[in-house]
Amino acid sequence: MKLKGLALCLLTLMVITACGTTNSGNNENEFIFATWAAGEELQEFEEIINQVNENADGEYTVKALSIPSDYYIKLATQISSNNAPDFFWMTQELISRYANLGAITDLTEKLEQSEQLTPDLFYDGVLASATYEDRYYGVPWIANPLMIYYNKDLFDQEGIDHPSPTDPWTWDEFIEVAKELTVIKQDGNGNDYQQFGTVVDGWPNIETFMWAGGGDIIAEDGEDILIDSAESLEGLSILNEILTSGITPSYAQVSSLGSNNVWFEKQRAAMFMGGIQDNFEEKMTRWEEEEQFEIGYTPMPVGQDGEAYAFNWTASTVMSIDQAENPLAYQALEDITLEFFKWKVASPLEGQVERVVEIDPHKEEALETIEQSLLIARSANYIPEWDVINNRLWVDLYTGMLNAPESFDYEAMAKEIADFARNEINKR
Amino acid sequence: MNSNSRKVRINKAILYLVLSLGSVLMLLPFFWMISTALKPDNAIFTVPIQWFPQTLYLNNFIRAMEVVPIMRYMFNTFLIAALKIFGEVFVSALVAYGFARFNFKYKNILFMVLLATMMLPYEVTMIPTFIIWSRLGFADSYVPLILPAYFGSASFIFFLRMYFQTYPKELEESALIDGASYLQIFIRIFVPLSKAALMTIGMWSFMGTWNDLLGQLIYINSPEKYTIQLGLASFSNMTGETLWGPLMAASFIALIPVILILLFAQRYFTEGVKMSGIKG
Amino acid sequence: MPKQKVGFYFILPWLVGLIAFTIVPMLIALYISMTNWSIIGSAEFVGLANFKRIFEEGMFYETLWITVRYALLAVPMTIATAFIVAIFLNNNLRFIGIYRTIFYMPAIVSGVAVAIVFKWVLDPNYGVINSLLANFGIDGPNWLYDPNWVLPSYLIMAVWGASGGLLTYLVGLKDIPRSLYESADLDGANFLQKVRHVTMPMMTPIIFYNMIMGIIGAFRKFTDAYVLGGAGNQGKFYMVYLYEEAFAFYNMGYATALAWVLFVIILTLTIIINISKKYWVHT
Repeated sequence: MKLKGLALCLLTLMVITACGTTNSGNNENEFIFATWAAGEELQEFEEIINQVNENADGEYTVKALSIPSDYYIKLATQISSNNAPDFFWMTQELISRYANLGAITDLTEKLEQSEQLTPDLFYDGVLASATYEDRYYGVPWIANPLMIYYNKDLFDQEGIDHPSPTDPWTWDEFIEVAKELTVIKQDGNGNDYQQFGTVVDGWPNIETFMWAGGGDIIAEDGEDILIDSAESLEGLSILNEILTSGITPSYAQVSSLGSNNVWFEKQRAAMFMGGIQDNFEEKMTRWEEEEQFEIGYTPMPVGQDGEAYAFNWTASTVMSIDQAENPLAYQALEDITLEFFKWKVASPLEGQVERVVEIDPHKEEALETIEQSLLIARSANYIPEWDVINNRLWVDLYTGMLNAPESFDYEAMAKEIADFARNEINKR
Repeated sequence: MNSNSRKVRINKAILYLVLSLGSVLMLLPFFWMISTALKPDNAIFTVPIQWFPQTLYLNNFIRAMEVVPIMRYMFNTFLIAALKIFGEVFVSALVAYGFARFNFKYKNILFMVLLATMMLPYEVTMIPTFIIWSRLGFADSYVPLILPAYFGSASFIFFLRMYFQTYPKELEESALIDGASYLQIFIRIFVPLSKAALMTIGMWSFMGTWNDLLGQLIYINSPEKYTIQLGLASFSNMTGETLWGPLMAASFIALIPVILILLFAQRYFTEGVKMSGIKG
Repeated sequence: MPKQKVGFYFILPWLVGLIAFTIVPMLIALYISMTNWSIIGSAEFVGLANFKRIFEEGMFYETLWITVRYALLAVPMTIATAFIVAIFLNNNLRFIGIYRTIFYMPAIVSGVAVAIVFKWVLDPNYGVINSLLANFGIDGPNWLYDPNWVLPSYLIMAVWGASGGLLTYLVGLKDIPRSLYESADLDGANFLQKVRHVTMPMMTPIIFYNMIMGIIGAFRKFTDAYVLGGAGNQGKFYMVYLYEEAFAFYNMGYATALAWVLFVIILTLTIIINISKKYWVHT
């Protein structure tokens, strides 16, 4: 019978596919490295891994596991089924949680005893982003602090002096300049359009503004909640002024250009607070000549307390707890990390800014500002409860301010979230 | 008679007009997809939106192929879909036939259980299911994606049961008198009568495989086993930056086989002249 | 007559699958709902604490209310839309196959792609809808960014994607015997009367099917709601809440409890509809 024949064929096919699966034998010297790199970035990542394997000369081998979507879901699933990848990338805000849950290895001793990759090589702020209760749980491989990109052409058109590449504005000065840059312009077809001073649409994050007022979300001790402190509220008032003074397109408007950075690229916003690795310069080489413009750089503004901070987006490589006792694993981790530092990314290593230009020649002009930004770079004080608190700060506070900047009572909301956060901490 | 045929023609014209207007609405996202695929990076987001590309920019298609082995991933997805579809359609029909045409103990309770299995969100059973499969040694394999299909799919069974129930009792009674077994009745009478319904769930089964991201993401590790959805996901990175042009080019390529299958399958939904009269 | 047993043999494959692939994970999920499992750590039994917490959280009521309102509106709207479209498509005109394919296309693209395109369609400044409204001098709303317009935005999307059920109606319409329409013609019935008295009753089983599936789908609405977000909590559906608890905050125990509460809600609704079936579904 035809049906039976078909069924038999399918069954055979299934058996073949089933047998084709090699159960990745967990040998002592075979490591799986999970990464969110995909597409072109994955091709580069695999070159690095191949290089590492070649250098290891059979002592160990590393295999890449690319997770192109829902990275942390797949990761958690793998961990929960005892299939944890040996190494994986992790963004700073999750490290304390994974450490707290005992999923990743404490690397403090190993880092301190290392000969090639010791803690003092890193910027302090960067390494701090990979700690939990003063222990190191990850090796940072990327640090991407904020700086201000500005459109020199638009500054010239309004007759505004270019800012210093190393001396920051105050936030008030930043807002004043942005106001001057908020003007009606005419496009090639003679249609009027609004040019804005900058774009704030949930980015930069709320920490940036709390720091601007001299406040913070959580104190360094990881226990005190500072969301409703006078300084943090002061910082929120800076954010509120930015949102109400018309220097940024409204929240509902920003997405009409896809995302915030496009406003800067299309010269609709004169200043953009972006990571030092944003690739405007490289992108621009592919545009028509009349669309290109000169980019200038200045560090993030100085806050009310006289300190300037640049929010630093960092990510680290962490090691599964399963490999805690395997010295070869740490060896591999170190070798890979050293290779990462030669990659296109800005390395988190102190005093090696020049490498940025070696890796990306377009960043030559930005070098002074990048150096300054790395010095003032910092992360938030992450705790295991971070996601829950941060989620409320975003959904209830920031989104509220963005959707109704004129009427939203952000002080009351900040107080409410502060109480919520204290309550979360008390649950410990 | 003349005025009547004129009326028919006007009706037809109105019908075509309504359908065409509706089609424009339906095609809007696809139009945007193609239009984006043909634009260079900096022409994608403009104010106001640029519906038509100013030049035909084909580089996105080349780049899409470089970033991701689309053809390989499409082949893998087809393989999974093909292995699944037979089991999912045939077994679901078999089970639906059992629920629709027989009375047995606990039937209604069992049917409620069947419906209930669709009501617990997949998100919370996903990890336990994954753990079971990986204990059984099926990590990084298509088996967990395919094998369950051979035990029927609840929503397909539900649909077909409802469909089989509408046939009159006489349908199998006369065949029984001729000495046919129930299995023979199912295969020789019900399957041919229900071609359109079976085609429908066949489409759903295929589409389910084609659009499943989370399941494939969880179970597959090796890049050479990746599917089209995992490939499409590779065009966006962790920080939310997306290569829109190449992504839309790749999405377009991935859509072509689906549309071809749809065009082929839709003819089964044409009013069946032969069979009318049997039902009711 | 051994008819009873035979039926049981036919459903046996499903029953085996149920025990092998479905019941065990469901039982595990039931246990997880009574623990504080965080996916990556170990699990501690906490009894009914998660369920207690659900009813104490304002977010539960908020997201459930949004989801219920959406379901109440979206289910009838999508059923009506798909039904009407199917009637238009159920004929033998030239090129009708192409139209059928086009109208079914929204169902073949994944939720993420639809969400992205609708972000454009509903864009307050340059979106298709507000541009059209502007032509009539109407200042369109902020759609996804305005708490009062979030629900209508999702309803527009639901109606656009209503063709998911289109095939089921086409299958049903195709099987209505021509003779029924012919006798209605002899009685002098007009088009609408024929729809009301011939088509509708014959289609009730399919409407019943789509109603149950629609309710399950509406309560489990996730992808586009997750991708779009926008107006903060006003646009947060139950499943988005559940998903965040599970995968953003790693409260898998609590999220699983939420899932069971959802399960009970959907099951209750299904049972009610199933009871009502005998009053309106034509067999």
